[in-house]
Amino acid sequence: MSIKLVSGRLRQITWLAVLAIGSALFVAACGGDDDSGGGNNANVDVKETVAATDCGPKKGQKATGTPIKLGGLATKQPGTDFSEIPRMTEAYFKCVNDNGGINGHPVDYVIETEQTDPGQAASQARKLIESEKVLGLVGSSSIIEADVNHKYYEQQGYNVIAAGIAPSAYATSNIASVNMGPRYSSDGATQTLIRKKVKKIVLVQSNVPGTEYIQEGPELITKDAGLPFEGLKENVPIQDANSAALKAVQAAGDGGGVVLNFTPPEALKILQAAQQQGLQDRVKWGCSTPCNTDFLAKALGDAWDGKLFVNAELNLITADAPDSNLYREVRKKYAPDIPLGSFSQMGFIMGRIATEALQDVKGDYTKESVNQAFLDVKDFKTDILCGPWYYGKAPLHLPNNIDRTVTPKGGTMVQNEDCFPISDVDPAVKQVRGIEQKDPSLIGK
Amino acid sequence: MSVATEPKPRSPLSPGRLSSGDTRRAIVIVALLAFVLFAIPSLLSVFWLKVLTGAAIYSIVALGLGILMGRVGLVSLGQIAVLALGAWVAAKLFFDTGLPFPIVLLLSGLITMVLGTFVGLPALRLGGLYLALITLMMAGAITVVIATTDFPNGGSGFLGHVESSLGGGDSIRRPAIAETDPAYFRYTIIVTALMFLVALWHVRSKAGRAWEAIRQSEPAALAAGVNMTLYKLWAFALASFLTGVAGALLAANVGDLFNYQFPTSQNITLLAVVLMGGIYSIWGAVIAGLLFRYLPELLDSWNLPSDLLTILFGVGVLQVLLTAPAGIVEQFPKDMARLGRFIGRLVGIGKRT
Amino acid sequence: MPSWDEFQPFIVTGLALGGVYALSGVGLVVLYRATGVLNLAFGAVGAMGALIAWELINNAGWDEYPAYGICILFGGVVTLAYGLLFGPPLANRDPLVKATASLGLALILLGTMSWIWSDKARSMVLPTSNENFMVSDVLVNYTQVLGFAFGVVVMIVTAAFLRYTGLGTAMRALANDREITATLGVPVRRVEAAAWAGSGLLAGVAGLLLSNLVGLDATTLTFLVISSLAAALIARLQSLVVTLIAGIVVGVVNAMITPILSISEYRDMTPFVLAIVALLWLSRHREISISRSA
Repeated sequence: MSIKLVSGRLRQITWLAVLAIGSALFVAACGGDDDSGGGNNANVDVKETVAATDCGPKKGQKATGTPIKLGGLATKQPGTDFSEIPRMTEAYFKCVNDNGGINGHPVDYVIETEQTDPGQAASQARKLIESEKVLGLVGSSSIIEADVNHKYYEQQGYNVIAAGIAPSAYATSNIASVNMGPRYSSDGATQTLIRKKVKKIVLVQSNVPGTEYIQEGPELITKDAGLPFEGLKENVPIQDANSAALKAVQAAGDGGGVVLNFTPPEALKILQAAQQQGLQDRVKWGCSTPCNTDFLAKALGDAWDGKLFVNAELNLITADAPDSNLYREVRKKYAPDIPLGSFSQMGFIMGRIATEALQDVKGDYTKESVNQAFLDVKDFKTDILCGPWYYGKAPLHLPNNIDRTVTPKGGTMVQNEDCFPISDVDPAVKQVRGIEQKDPSLIGK
Repeated sequence: MSVATEPKPRSPLSPGRLSSGDTRRAIVIVALLAFVLFAIPSLLSVFWLKVLTGAAIYSIVALGLGILMGRVGLVSLGQIAVLALGAWVAAKLFFDTGLPFPIVLLLSGLITMVLGTFVGLPALRLGGLYLALITLMMAGAITVVIATTDFPNGGSGFLGHVESSLGGGDSIRRPAIAETDPAYFRYTIIVTALMFLVALWHVRSKAGRAWEAIRQSEPAALAAGVNMTLYKLWAFALASFLTGVAGALLAANVGDLFNYQFPTSQNITLLAVVLMGGIYSIWGAVIAGLLFRYLPELLDSWNLPSDLLTILFGVGVLQVLLTAPAGIVEQFPKDMARLGRFIGRLVGIGKRT
Repeated sequence: MPSWDEFQPFIVTGLALGGVYALSGVGLVVLYRATGVLNLAFGAVGAMGALIAWELINNAGWDEYPAYGICILFGGVVTLAYGLLFGPPLANRDPLVKATASLGLALILLGTMSWIWSDKARSMVLPTSNENFMVSDVLVNYTQVLGFAFGVVVMIVTAAFLRYTGLGTAMRALANDREITATLGVPVRRVEAAAWAGSGLLAGVAGLLLSNLVGLDATTLTFLVISSLAAALIARLQSLVVTLIAGIVVGVVNAMITPILSISEYRDMTPFVLAIVALLWLSRHREISISRSA
């Protein structure tokens, strides 16, 4: 092949790629910001009593001391993307850095992502701790990394603050989560549907690791209420949502309850398929926390107003209260492309907890002092959570064990039930309540 | 038929004798290997070592596919599914038996070889596009089965999968001499080098000559008395053996296997990187492995989105099929030579004026 | 074993799913018959068109029908551009090479889509999705009917077009052997362009319909082509009628397995198993090859 021909072809290929990308970018640019459209509820009638300068002690002053390095690890792949969570934590730290930092020190925050490959999750943990030399881990949210890495974290002396998903995030001494994870969130959704007087509970999950662990909680609670229970799994991404929805409804039977545990795009497929097949009103529908996002409320449309009960581990994104207001301000200023919802709330709260904890450190910021500070967190009050958050020395952590129920209405999520405790029929919950009773200072009593 | 337009035939099929060129190449390779084994673990962090371990493992898989495509002209879009099978077999062996690590590697390779040859049976009757598509269908089927049965993790019964309430079973063990990550890296590199030797030996043997004949023209090979059935199956057997060994290495590398670690779409990505690396040279497989595992992490460390990689692979596939059928491994030196001539001309022009 | 009452509604969902597979399968075979290329980027092209339409409707305030028009147009333009750039240089190569090249296009589009529209819950509801009627306890909406009908219409129209019209015959000749067709005085570039453009518009329409029938999700729609290949393979990439019927059968069997709890989790295997069995059965006596003979 002559040189001219070769370069001609290369040019053609480049043009095709440019064409495809260029046209799409052009459309996207014309369309404006993709995510702000769905998530930005600009018509929230709330008095903004805080400004995005309340993150740090010295308003408007950039922190200039030696940086405190922190890190986070999240799952990011098609169908399962939790990277918004640490990115929101990062946004909070940026706000902190712009307003005096932590005792004058800015936070240098590193985010790593993994694609549910255990080898990769393990490498990323080592990268954060051994290469990046982060002093503490906060903001992590991964399907598998807690399982893969918790022993390593223990060896290295890290007390992780996470938005946990993997079972180990709730079963080890050195990981504490701001959320309750899929199992306890599904517990909450189950409790809600039982209160709405369903005759049977069917839990449908995506076929990812941990389904048996997640199913245990709702199953125990359902049986304790004297009702039958069934657990189903679907491979994601779902191709035949019609059959999946039909299967779930048939399993629940008329007057039954279906609890979904999926990421929003997949849950949307099932819900829409159910609605379009006229199955919507035959059962009551519940969903674990990932469904708590305005993007989903908007995509569902008003056919679902008041008909889907989502377990919300956190307060409404529209709540009018100091931390909630600050959350919206920080998001608007530092991370406008992240939609409003549980995920970004979790990221925000973790940033807040870490910052408050580190403010109290006297002396140098080292791996030991940072992780001790995290361990010492107790009675952390915030309006974003139903109850005070805490860490403390314990074999397991489930500090967020009280939550709310929300439901879609007019393209956004509104409260349906106020804070209620997760049932202690679930043994881990019982154990945690016991820990709280033994040391009431954890929750400020 | 051939997948890409062939370059001029290269020498590696000379019978048995080692030429001076061969000895020179062997020395270079041994030197490179020594560097990788001894220098690299001290130069790189544990994170990058784990990444390179993964790259080495996938280069073995790429080697299998490269041989199928480049030497015999058969395209299999099911090699990742075969890798999953290999990992499954290895996990089962690790948990159910106390066999030493190298034996498990060998057994995984052999058992996967038998299973993988089944995947290749349609090759006897179907050619070209149909073979590629039917292997893709097989990959799809195997992926669904594994998604449901999951991997053995110390449980009882044939499937050996236990759903512990903590969501994870025991970890897969590593060889006693290579428990740490840097040690396992070295171990993997050695096994990889051995696999490459096995492949090279095959290519230079009678099988390799038969494959070349089949690739050039099936009717002619048939007329020359080549046993098509035997040699086609042999190629699949070799590719499956290699991939089975890679599966065992993978299982021990990560320690835990998850049921959707091997999505069907990865078969397509593997095809892309194997094409880009170059199917006519053994080294192409090394490049393919690096593209598959190392490049994504590199991009991630530069804070570039992984979607860029998908686009890059798409462009790479098109580029290879149109202009550089021998892949990066041949194109890069050619590009460098072209660059050198271009500079030479510039300098020459400069001199003339 | 579930009762007949429990099976019945799954026949309906099966027909809906079958419609999806039939539509994609027919699209693939039509492209193949008209251009000689198995365009594996069929799903990706449609997905990107649908996402662009979503973007226009939700973030640029466009009305629905013009946005749908853009989606279809996008399908035509991208496919035509690809065909014009990469059709001629690859024309003499093995069909496998041409199909592999289309995989390259699919990857480029998929990467672009993931980059611009990250993974979120999106919905673009066609007006026909809101109108429905009752069949055996389950509501069937008109988009499902449309998907099905569209597959049938395309099949009939294309089969007739390829067989009875001059342009159609030219396309078939072109797909078979470009050089000889050129020497026969057929305006090769123009016929090619028509084939690519036509198939592209088809991909755009399919994208719109599939975004409703399956979901507006880049990865799902792009890789739907793998399952849809089953129907095309069973027809050996030749007969449009067989493709249609095969797609429906695959869909119905897939859905019918859903209530059988012992094998329900394996039901996603259905397209693959059926394709493998069919191909092996069909090739039992002789070799099937569509490579260019040396």
